[in-house]
Amino acid sequence: MIECPSCGHLHRPGTLFCSECGVYLLTGGPLRTEPLPESDLPSTRADPWESGEKAGTGEAQRETMLIIVPPSGRQLNLPAEGEAVIGRLDATRGVFPNIDLTPEGGLEGGVSRRHARIHKQKAQYFIEDLGSANGTFLNGQRLTPYLPHPLHDNDELQLGRVRIQVSVR
Amino acid sequence: MAINPEVDLYAALNVPVDATADEIKHAYRQLARQVHPDMQTQQGTALLFRQAQEAYDVLSEPGKRAAYDRQRVEAGLSPKSVFQWKMQPSRTTLSVGVDEQVVYLLFDVAAGQSDQVRGRQALNVCLVLDRSTSMQGSRLEQTKASAQRMIDSLSGDDTLSIVTFSDKAEVVWPSQPLTDPIKTKARVSAIQASGGTEILQGLLAGLAEIEKRRAQYAVSHLILLTDGQTYGDEDRCLSAAEEAARHRIGISAMGIGEDWNDTLLDAIANRCGGVSQYIASTGEIQHFLRERLQGLSSVYADNVRLVLKPIEGTRLKSAFKLSPYIERIPFESEALTLGSLQSDSAVSGIIELVVGPHEAGTHRLAQMELMGNIPSRRLDDAVLRQDITFAFDPNINPNTPAPSHILSALAKVTIFQMQEGALKALEKGDVAGATHRLETMATRLLDMGEHQLARAALLEAGRLARSGNLSPAGRKAIKYGTRSLILASPKER
Repeated sequence: MIECPSCGHLHRPGTLFCSECGVYLLTGGPLRTEPLPESDLPSTRADPWESGEKAGTGEAQRETMLIIVPPSGRQLNLPAEGEAVIGRLDATRGVFPNIDLTPEGGLEGGVSRRHARIHKQKAQYFIEDLGSANGTFLNGQRLTPYLPHPLHDNDELQLGRVRIQVSVR
Repeated sequence: MAINPEVDLYAALNVPVDATADEIKHAYRQLARQVHPDMQTQQGTALLFRQAQEAYDVLSEPGKRAAYDRQRVEAGLSPKSVFQWKMQPSRTTLSVGVDEQVVYLLFDVAAGQSDQVRGRQALNVCLVLDRSTSMQGSRLEQTKASAQRMIDSLSGDDTLSIVTFSDKAEVVWPSQPLTDPIKTKARVSAIQASGGTEILQGLLAGLAEIEKRRAQYAVSHLILLTDGQTYGDEDRCLSAAEEAARHRIGISAMGIGEDWNDTLLDAIANRCGGVSQYIASTGEIQHFLRERLQGLSSVYADNVRLVLKPIEGTRLKSAFKLSPYIERIPFESEALTLGSLQSDSAVSGIIELVVGPHEAGTHRLAQMELMGNIPSRRLDDAVLRQDITFAFDPNINPNTPAPSHILSALAKVTIFQMQEGALKALEKGDVAGATHRLETMATRLLDMGEHQLARAALLEAGRLARSGNLSPAGRKAIKYGTRSLILASPKER
């Protein structure tokens, strides 16, 4: 028997969808996140090889704080550990992103459950797309999935259709 | 050995092209005995024997046979078959040492190639119109206008009858060939609304009209339009529908507005190989009638049945039709009723098989037969037969993804089943269960990008949780929305 990753219902091998909760049993998720129309998303791509300032160069390391502001206006601070997954909370599937964009219309805005990750290396913040269905955009440019890209003050991020403002202080 | 498609291997064994593996084996053995060089010394029998051997070598192996059949079709040598049949499994190789496993079969039936371009079929149609008080106004006016449009679109070869009903039925236009459309339309104009809704009365009067000329026509169909509930005669309506099906009369039903009994109309249409339709706004009546007539006049085969005879240990778990909309196929003694087949479009469906344990190797799991009546060919119960065989392999990766169109069809069928489950739970009085199912279904719909239907489901879930009831409009929106998911994904729409 195979167990539904979402609701735990047992099915005979070879079954493709859970009869109880409707998820695709191979992934425990939907068959696919519906791609947004191409026209809804910016079309230029970021240069994947652009590097951040080399850590340690320039000004002496100082304590910085990253604040991101989604359209709802609520301020979200990067957790102290300096790393955060942005996405959409899905308790039934055990996905608890540090920054949940559900209140910002994440589901309809095409935000994946695990959409992007922000982390800090030395004094530099990086944004990394986690292979999301609808992409992560930095100042209107699409990021190559799984390739961290440096984040600066006043940068604008777009996850699917949801835009968020970045400020580094 | 390279197979030459020009050599007719079926003829070499003297078997039909749709012969089963058993028949081929039997034919080969019989032939081999007759023409074996040891038994016959007559000149030429050695050649016959070799031909039989070569033919058996190809036809006895499913892979080789399929390749040969394909080459024959490509070379234009394939004999005219009555049906075109395609079947694709969710996986071609099954696991060994599993008590029970599931495999899905997606199938597609279409008219035989030579029969696709044909003239229009003459029709014997009866319109059964609800003229109860609730139809007063736009509903009845639109219905009358649509009926008049329909009269214009029929030809002189067609026979039409019109019946109206309220508490009782009246024959507005008795069954006769359409020679004077103006007169018929004038009678329609005079229909007035009044009284209650007794569907049975209308059905019986309509079926009697159709029966008068049924023998002369290949296609006899009753189209029922109603906007209300019928009280107390539901069971008798269903028996009337079953009786009609036995006489090969189809019934299609159209419910206008929110107050009609969807369970009853769906069941009537389902029993008679017709279609049922939810008409949310009266403007759609004309469109539905036009489509229905078009469909009827291009009927290639009716009473199409798929008979699956599984071997012991294998069983049919569920079956759904995917066209024109998702519909559970009831099966009695392994016969799946597919209804009628149009010459210009295929009927497709999906079957879920539960397979018992097997050793490694290739095994036949079921034999299938496709049957139907083909009026244009005066053929009754034309049969196409095929074996359903699978390879069983101990080293198969169980996570091999299924073909994407099977997945996308199943995703929609799954939602349809959740809807069925929600309504069933509600019928049993399990409000919490029904609410939960609707909510889960809404999540899946959002995943698929079906935002409108998802919102309708969430709204009804909320209503259900608070009031213990669905709204009649919401219930129909969800039911007919989920069954139509198959028509087009939101991107294509």
